[in-house]
Amino acid sequence: MTSYLVLEDGTCYEGDSFGYDADAFGEVVFSTGMSGYQESLTDPSYRGQILTMTFPTVGNYGITDDFFQSNGIHCRALVVREYTRIPSDSYGGRTLDDFLKEYKVPGISGIDTRDLVIKIREFGTLKGAVIRDEDKIEETIEKLKRMPAPSDSDLVGEVTCPAIKKLDNGKEFTVGLLDCGMKARIADDLSEYFNVILFPYDTPSDVIMESGINGMLVSNGPGDPSHPNIIKGPVKTVSDLSTFMPIMGICLGNQITSLAFGGKTYKMKFGHRGCNQPVSFEGRVYITSQNHGFAVDEQSLDGTGLIADQFNINDHTVEGMRHKDLPIFTSQYHPEANPGPYDTKFLFNRFYNAVKEAKR
Amino acid sequence: MRKDYKKLLVIGSGPIVIGQAAEFDFSGSQACRSLREEGYRTVLVNSNPATIQTDPDTADSVYVEPMTAESVAKIIEKEGVDGVISGMGGQTGLNISAELAEKGYLDKYGARLVGTQPEAIQRSEDRELFKEAMEEIGEPVPKSRSVSSIEEAIEAVEFIGRYPVLVRPAFTLGGTGGGVAYNEDQLREICALGLSYSRIHQVLIEESVLGWKEIEYEVMRDSKDNCIIVCNMENLDAMGIHTGESIVCAPCLTLSDRDLQMFRTASIKIIRALKIEGGCNVQYAFDPKTHDYRVIEVNPRVSRSSALASKATGYPIARVATKIAVGYTLDEIPNRITGNTFAAFEPTLDYVVMKIPRWPFDKFRTVDRHLGTQMKSTGEMMSIGRNVEEALLKGLRSLEIGVDGLDPIDMTDDEIHEEFRNATDRRIFAIGEAIRRGWDPVQVSNETHWDIYFVMKIKNIIDMENKLKGELTDKLLREAKEMGFSDESIARIRGCDHWDVLKRREDAGIVPRYKMVDTCAAEFSAVTPYYYSTYHGRSSEVKKSDKKKVVIVGGGPIRIGQGIEFDYCCVHGVMALQEEGIEAIMINNNPETVSTDYGISDRLYFEPLSLEDVLNVIKAEDADGVICQYGGQTSVNLAIDVEKGLKGTKTKILGTSPDQMDVAEDRKRFTDLMRSLGVRQPPSGTAYSYNEAMRIANEIGYPVLVRPSYVLGGRAMEIVYSDDELNTYMETAVKVSHNHPVLIDKYLSEAVEIDVDSVCDGEDVYVGGILEHIEYAGCHSGDATMVMPPYNIPQNMIDGIVEINRKVALALKINGLMNLQLAYKDGQIWMIEANPRASRTVPFISKATGVPLAKIGVKVMLGRKLKDFGLSGYRPIDHFAVKESVFPFLKLPGVDSILTPEMKSTGEVMGIDPDLHAAYLKAQLAAGTILPKEGGVYITVNDQDKPRAVAVAKSLKDMGFRIYATRGTSVYLTENGVENTRVFKNTEGKEPTALSLMRNRKIDLLINTPREHSGAIRDGHNMRRLAVELEIPYITTMNGAEMAIGAIGVERKGEMGVKSMQEYHKLEF
Repeated sequence: MTSYLVLEDGTCYEGDSFGYDADAFGEVVFSTGMSGYQESLTDPSYRGQILTMTFPTVGNYGITDDFFQSNGIHCRALVVREYTRIPSDSYGGRTLDDFLKEYKVPGISGIDTRDLVIKIREFGTLKGAVIRDEDKIEETIEKLKRMPAPSDSDLVGEVTCPAIKKLDNGKEFTVGLLDCGMKARIADDLSEYFNVILFPYDTPSDVIMESGINGMLVSNGPGDPSHPNIIKGPVKTVSDLSTFMPIMGICLGNQITSLAFGGKTYKMKFGHRGCNQPVSFEGRVYITSQNHGFAVDEQSLDGTGLIADQFNINDHTVEGMRHKDLPIFTSQYHPEANPGPYDTKFLFNRFYNAVKEAKR
Repeated sequence: MRKDYKKLLVIGSGPIVIGQAAEFDFSGSQACRSLREEGYRTVLVNSNPATIQTDPDTADSVYVEPMTAESVAKIIEKEGVDGVISGMGGQTGLNISAELAEKGYLDKYGARLVGTQPEAIQRSEDRELFKEAMEEIGEPVPKSRSVSSIEEAIEAVEFIGRYPVLVRPAFTLGGTGGGVAYNEDQLREICALGLSYSRIHQVLIEESVLGWKEIEYEVMRDSKDNCIIVCNMENLDAMGIHTGESIVCAPCLTLSDRDLQMFRTASIKIIRALKIEGGCNVQYAFDPKTHDYRVIEVNPRVSRSSALASKATGYPIARVATKIAVGYTLDEIPNRITGNTFAAFEPTLDYVVMKIPRWPFDKFRTVDRHLGTQMKSTGEMMSIGRNVEEALLKGLRSLEIGVDGLDPIDMTDDEIHEEFRNATDRRIFAIGEAIRRGWDPVQVSNETHWDIYFVMKIKNIIDMENKLKGELTDKLLREAKEMGFSDESIARIRGCDHWDVLKRREDAGIVPRYKMVDTCAAEFSAVTPYYYSTYHGRSSEVKKSDKKKVVIVGGGPIRIGQGIEFDYCCVHGVMALQEEGIEAIMINNNPETVSTDYGISDRLYFEPLSLEDVLNVIKAEDADGVICQYGGQTSVNLAIDVEKGLKGTKTKILGTSPDQMDVAEDRKRFTDLMRSLGVRQPPSGTAYSYNEAMRIANEIGYPVLVRPSYVLGGRAMEIVYSDDELNTYMETAVKVSHNHPVLIDKYLSEAVEIDVDSVCDGEDVYVGGILEHIEYAGCHSGDATMVMPPYNIPQNMIDGIVEINRKVALALKINGLMNLQLAYKDGQIWMIEANPRASRTVPFISKATGVPLAKIGVKVMLGRKLKDFGLSGYRPIDHFAVKESVFPFLKLPGVDSILTPEMKSTGEVMGIDPDLHAAYLKAQLAAGTILPKEGGVYITVNDQDKPRAVAVAKSLKDMGFRIYATRGTSVYLTENGVENTRVFKNTEGKEPTALSLMRNRKIDLLINTPREHSGAIRDGHNMRRLAVELEIPYITTMNGAEMAIGAIGVERKGEMGVKSMQEYHKLEF
């Protein structure tokens, strides 16, 4: 069935609908990862967005229980050049189409995704919609122009865990994981070293302090870090905990940390989404997995005690920070990978060492 | 940071052989450019004249000298080289570097290896050391043992516990001598061969992972231990078929991110453990059921895979590896394709790449076509599409094997099953055929070990094929084009004309879009103009240009008869256009070559070279001109149709007009022209039936040369000596019909063959070079040993040749290059054929004379005159250049090594020296033929050669050789005072026989001139085969024997020097 990808600038792409049969509105972004579509679809950071895959054939190896990063699909629609109807059977053979249907997410195929990406690259992220009714194209364009950016709403509130949850892994130390929409792999990686307590993003600091954790990891998540609910929730929490324990931040957690110390964040033209972003750190190059549309303003860190110590080699944006005195460090990218390279897994080990050190 | 060197030497890879093709011209040229960018003084050595890297502007000093440690050492000493880059010349480069180190040359001259060090190379290449290294870092390798004897091999299988096992020789090219053994008998046979091919007499017996997926990673590492993955690739064919023989896609399509990251992590661990600085290729076997894997091998250098990865991603591996070798780190090297990012990132693709090998089985009809662990393909093509189907179908029509897509194949069901069990080059067509017959894709997947994902892609293609048989709506036509169907295949399926399909779709606005290969999936704007076509999409990214522009049609995959020479010509064409201020647009599909290096032309289109695809590019570019004379037969064959397709547009076919090209190709028109010019031709005729062939042959008189009309590289061409033989030929080799006549020529026996290459501007003719063949006419000119200038032809005959060439060029209205093949016999010059295009010998002549013929040809096409360059007539050179061919006989058992009108060689080398015999010796050394300095020589010659044989035998005797001869020759030699040992024929039942002497290494040189009928030629088959296997030089003409004697004399004196191209040629163009 024909469906349409409509953008706020008036562009309309005709395609074929697949997945769930519905209309969807969101912010159109693209990811350049060539694999890991299931991990991306289930990454809560894509909340509110219409995800475009630049790789032109998606769903090749099917869908498997193992690759979920949360309990469902978070993007509002998926845009592809082509989806695979019959995938490889090496991972069970469940189709992408079926997966989208189950989680009620529409897909659109047959789109010149490269043309779309060039548009986004040149004009910046655009609001868009996937609709089925040709007659509603004009109306949709108007609607998109008026529609607030998805990141204006409290997206984190939609994806954080409902209640505190303890993961006892029989380890010596226990750390908190402030869940702003975390990918499951972060909890798995922490669990290699620690017992983990998951906290909803708005858990008050005193509740967290009382839990007796030895460190805190602030997770990734969707939306704008300067949203009021983030400022009064996680940003305040990081500020409160900062002198008491080691803190590690990932992605949104990095931005939250900068805000907690008085830094600033800004919205990027079209962000970084993919598995090939080079980061320079301590004289070395690491290839990282990324998914973010906001970034930390390096200048704003002056006098905050935070030092930007990791940078993107392509555009020199801040990719990580550490505190000059406190055991606090962050990364804008995803050391937990999934999808993407494992180059920076060692950050979890550093966090472990920081926790151990702090405990001594 | 950059390290200082006085002078850096880049070692090339020598001639094109199976397993080592044009990819190293690409990598070596890129390396030299990369070094010169950094201001280093550079020296390059390569014995292959048909390469861009041996052009004088590639390096400060370019040597076309034999690729032996001794000769390279002389260059190091003479030039004062202090750094040697070994990783750009394939296995040849590594082996020579290892030898330079082992023999102490590096220490002696104070040079060191730059980049990956010998210990690292050894750890990657020596099976035992490699296994240890992998075990240390916990990477799984197949259970295996290195063995040096057959007995040890049998013990090794006991240790592994089961057959089948793989046998892999150490230190060989492309897996020469390897194989799969299913039982002890096979093990014995394969090991015996493998041990003899291994440079260190060692083979590996290994646990079989047949049926697992084969996955490859291209990894880079710098001195700061930064590592990146350039590309991963998936073989469609499972383990058991050499990756060079497999259809390969990039990136991997059927592996999950988690498994891909597992391999990525392993690859980085491996390159670190092996301490490789630069690029390497890691191959894995992956069990799709258990997700278990094994590390199969590592190539610690640039390779064919890395050339493919470079073209597939746009990431210039050789360039970056070279910068790493001289001390730069990945974050210091800019990414030229985007202009604003760095080499420290991982390319991401937004298209699908397919590589399909090109096999020589169309030429070698007797060779076993089965694919296995030994490479048999001579080249490959790459195609880019927005999905698998599009890439695959574009790829299939790029192969130039007479298919325009997934064509039907004539096979029984049983044959299809057999094809699935034991693949040949036809497997993909068999899969198509099975689906066409309604076989269950799951069954096909199980039998072929192709992932169901790929089998379903084939099914999609067949489903579309079926739909195309019905009503053709615009929508369906668009869908078919999006799937990569060619106009030709749509026409074939629907039983209509392809011109009609073309018109239909252009009327409906169904034309391709051109997308960019940019390393980053459009995340950054890119500046490098590298494009592919797709019917998926709404926009093209080609920036319209108002400059004058000319398209050059390339040569496609390397195969026998069409080698790297044509790529050389195309690249020179590009340079000539640019020198004249015209934009050069290249179309080609061979990922190995320099012409597809996106830094060469103004715009590169990576496309099939079918009429449709070429016309599409020309139209999209709105080009002013197109050159069809430089890409070998591929482009020549397109000329007439391209002209037809461009009617009414502004685009002109540059150079000699297609109609004049037809005069040269059409026998009747050509014969008429020669008659009017008074140029002698051997009598000939064209037969449209069997009876006619017999009649013509008897009229002309045997022996005759027979061949089908319109051939490439002498395919199916034979000399026949009798009605019986003609009968056999007509029944087995060709299908004669009214549309496909057979051409019959009088064979001029024992004539000297001559090649002439020239440029004509319509007024003047410049003869670039005259080459005398050492073999008699009848040996394909692509295989012959040639000497320039001629050394046996009297001056008045040379003058005659120059005059004939002038007359023919002017009469054919040649505008650009022309090649003539002539014969000299009984004081007369005979015309064999005229080729109005760039020939195979153009690069050789350019290297021998310093005059860039191909460039001048293009400039003439653009309207320049020869006198602008001060060129006219014929100017002999004052040194000698000898062209020698290299053959795939070792790799392709079943091919007779006797030279015939059918071309068999894969590549060529040049020996150049002021002295004729030294030049010949260099050519032999470069081709890998070791002429003995002492030992035994076996001589058996026909009656008329006997007097010359006496002189040869005397010279050999004087140099201390022992002479062996068969009865007739032995008696004759004895009568003429040359002491010799009589050798018996096998049928005589007495010792010694030639074969036993050869096996006992008593014979170091064979001189055998066969009697003139093909029976005698066939008799020597066993001896020739053994000579090939034992690598004993085998000479079949007295000319060759006399040259060899002279060369042995030079070798015994040991005073051969080295001299650079720049020293030979002071000319500037």
